[in-house]
Amino acid sequence: MNMMSAIAAPEPTLSRTEVAGLVALAARTVPPLWPLESAIAVNPLAGFEEMPFEAALRHGASLFGARASLPLAQWRALLAEGRIDTRCLRDAAIGHLGGLYRARAVIAPGVTTLDLLMARLLHLPAGDSADAPPLAAPPMPPDAAFIAKWCAAFFDQGLAASPMPYRELGLYRAVLAIAGHDPAFHALAPGAGGQLLMTVAREPLSAIAEGLVALGVADTAAEAHLAALVARLPGWAGHIRWRCEYTDTDIAAGAPASMADLLALWLLLERARALTGAESGAGDQPRDTPPPHDATPQLAAHFGLAELAAHADNNLTRIATMDDNALGALFLTAAEESYANALVPQLQASAPAPAATAKPAAQLVFCIDVRSEPFRRALEATGAYETLGYAGFFGLPIALHRCGAARRQRRLPVLLSPRHDVTEAPLPGQAHTAAHLAAAATRDAQAKRLFAGAKQGIATAFATAEATGPLAGLLMAARTLAPRLTQRISAWVSPSRDAVLGPALGQQPDGYAHSPFILADKIGYASALFRLTGLSAATARLVVLVGHSGSAVNNPYAAALDCGACGGHSGGPNARILAAMLNDTAVREGLAARGIALPASTHFCAAEHNTTTDALMIFDRAAVPASHADDLARLEGDLARAGDANRARRAGLLGRTPQDVLTGALHWGEVRPEWGLAGNAAFLVGPRWWSQAIDLAGRAFLHSYDWRTDEDGTALTTILTAPMVVAQWINCQYLFSCLDNDRYGAGDKTTQNVIGGIGVVQGNGGDLRVGLPRQSLFRDDGTPFHVPQRLLTVVLAPLARVEAVVAANDILARLFGKGWVHLVVVDPTTGRARRWRRDAAPDTEGARPIDITLA
Amino acid sequence: MRADTPHDLSLHRLRKIEIVTRAEDQHLVAGLLQTAGVGGWTMIRDVAGMGHAGFHQGKAIFNDASGLVMFVGVGEPAVIADVAKGLAGLFASLPGVTFLSDVEVLRSDYFARAGSA
Repeated sequence: MNMMSAIAAPEPTLSRTEVAGLVALAARTVPPLWPLESAIAVNPLAGFEEMPFEAALRHGASLFGARASLPLAQWRALLAEGRIDTRCLRDAAIGHLGGLYRARAVIAPGVTTLDLLMARLLHLPAGDSADAPPLAAPPMPPDAAFIAKWCAAFFDQGLAASPMPYRELGLYRAVLAIAGHDPAFHALAPGAGGQLLMTVAREPLSAIAEGLVALGVADTAAEAHLAALVARLPGWAGHIRWRCEYTDTDIAAGAPASMADLLALWLLLERARALTGAESGAGDQPRDTPPPHDATPQLAAHFGLAELAAHADNNLTRIATMDDNALGALFLTAAEESYANALVPQLQASAPAPAATAKPAAQLVFCIDVRSEPFRRALEATGAYETLGYAGFFGLPIALHRCGAARRQRRLPVLLSPRHDVTEAPLPGQAHTAAHLAAAATRDAQAKRLFAGAKQGIATAFATAEATGPLAGLLMAARTLAPRLTQRISAWVSPSRDAVLGPALGQQPDGYAHSPFILADKIGYASALFRLTGLSAATARLVVLVGHSGSAVNNPYAAALDCGACGGHSGGPNARILAAMLNDTAVREGLAARGIALPASTHFCAAEHNTTTDALMIFDRAAVPASHADDLARLEGDLARAGDANRARRAGLLGRTPQDVLTGALHWGEVRPEWGLAGNAAFLVGPRWWSQAIDLAGRAFLHSYDWRTDEDGTALTTILTAPMVVAQWINCQYLFSCLDNDRYGAGDKTTQNVIGGIGVVQGNGGDLRVGLPRQSLFRDDGTPFHVPQRLLTVVLAPLARVEAVVAANDILARLFGKGWVHLVVVDPTTGRARRWRRDAAPDTEGARPIDITLA
Repeated sequence: MRADTPHDLSLHRLRKIEIVTRAEDQHLVAGLLQTAGVGGWTMIRDVAGMGHAGFHQGKAIFNDASGLVMFVGVGEPAVIADVAKGLAGLFASLPGVTFLSDVEVLRSDYFARAGSA
């Protein structure tokens, strides 16, 4: 490589458009990373879903330096707890060995191939470093630290006392303008680095094209080279993807940044280091694969057969050199089979439709979230209630403009863009209180700004601490020692926002082009509830649409406890909007014209289930007719009983008392207010009566569906291509965050700091952390609470209909065919279960799906 | 370039590019069009049709990233050629088809390179 030619800007071989294409492809190495205020679960390997699951796991492990399995000791702990069936592990081992005949091949007297493998799975020490206790993360290489530092400064959302200059130029150019003054840059590239800063192209795509030539990267290797660079800081790269693809343009206005900016910076550093002869900084990626460990001596000792060590046998060598990731893959299969073998036969047995039942006292439509299921079961136990599952945004693609908020909130799945902007307005008779609330909110915001400015000011910092310290100390003591009392006092001083303000359907926020709801929209969204869930038009007197949210204080991951279908926000506003639509006389007439004639006696209510406390709040009580007051009072009593029961159940899982769970929801020091969606394992598509008798233990997403009212498969297509995809993202986030909490997860929550208002870092800097923290997945003793396993989707519908839907939708063919989601179809008339066959899997029957094999 | 027609309309010859791709890849294609300087384009969502992998369903109610989309852009030949060059790289690893054709338009200023109009 010629130093002068590199400084003198070599002639690029790729056009800007070609580079743009390469950058776009490389960007897919990481998924988008949503900011804390609207945290959304994503599959960290989403960019590799075109690959078979196992290949993607290996590729991700290599690219991100991640582990591909839980440590063996943790798998064994799950087995010892009975959460994995030993018979399923044995079956997985037999499958791995190529069948029973080969598994029974004798290696030594009384020792079969299967014995060897089971010994490695169950008894022998781990073969590689995967079982070693987690070490402190190695320090970030200086080049990555340099870029991470400037990303943190550039993407700051107004928290920094001194904003980074030149942000309006874009990330790359802003850093170019500053790097010359940064000793870290000169340490990275002494001498020639400064010259390069002066001569390098100013436009990111041109700089990348130039950099690739200067570094001698062949055009054919350019995409892989760029992808490897994207993978070095997956958090910041994911944040850039979110800014570019999933947010409103005003957030990025004034500080534009694209993946090309980030890659241009990486190539700048690579060029600078090449010029100065410094070594590559890729010290953090990937983890080198250690040479295969040979467990033959341990196997010989385990079976008391000294001659085994001298025995030359292919099977022995194959088993003795399996690494812990390969052994872990068998545990993963066993975990999935253990769960399926317990669940699917129960679903087969309950497949035939029951005789018609009496009209329920009330119907409640919950979010599909796994946390709804145990609450629904507890409520059903209290009386004649019918519950249904529907996507928690209730089919409304909205952005909500909350009073006093600077930006709109996207309250819809990230798979959709908002089509309606909804603002808030005072409820009838609440205008005066609303004005007070607005004034108080303005005062609070001003006080916070003033305090932040005084706290960060060089001249005012100490005086501020002295002046406000005693008061802050008292408040902290109150929030520490009596958080529930503090909250009650706070609630007494300030009225509930939801009792004063509500979404206004007919009022459009200023300056937004999105159309308000017209009657046809309202009828469409109202009818979707019936079409997609199979809810009959013969509704009960009271139908309650139940959104959900979590409660957490001083918790950067609070949004992760809210509704994923609502973009990481609470689901109450969406429920209120759809309930208002369904109570609208004109909408009822429109529904009747579509064949959905609702009884005049039906009233729709909105509510919100707090998944941390199991309290359920009813909205807009004033709108409930007096004729329905008794119905509502009865229901509320039963909801309170159901909440108590579910809270007691959850408290047991958390190892606490129910009262302590309530305290945790308000305590600023609480690291695990609830288990969230930990344990998620299944996605059931069918009517509630199908699963009602089964204790699903809060591990199943439940989407109501009636195949009898969906002849063309439209509803099933919608359910599988949207809610199930969101469930798969959640499932994969939990799965991978559990397999390697350091790389795919966020690590220990207690040592994190919020940065820029957008994410968290470990310690005081570095990459934005992706995935879930350790406390969301593991118990305090380090054993996994979440069992890592892929989603099992079970559909109650005729096989031909499911086949047609999967064949017509690439995304489904990919998820099921490549092994990212397991699909089982239960025939509604015979109860026969069929499992979807993966691409290239042995086809024993000549048909695409094969019969499920159940123990 | 101008072309006279039997109807005495003053038409301008340009190039048209039509791209059918997966909805989940729409950001990549839009980025290329933007980079090449295409001033604007039409996007048709929920495109259904028959392909190598069978019939592609059109409409997905709750998922904008599911199914196929079609881009239609018009511009100067050099600009459209630049887009095609970038797409060749993209479609080496992603599914998608591109059609190029000559077109005549009434208002050429509508299709000027972004930033030059």
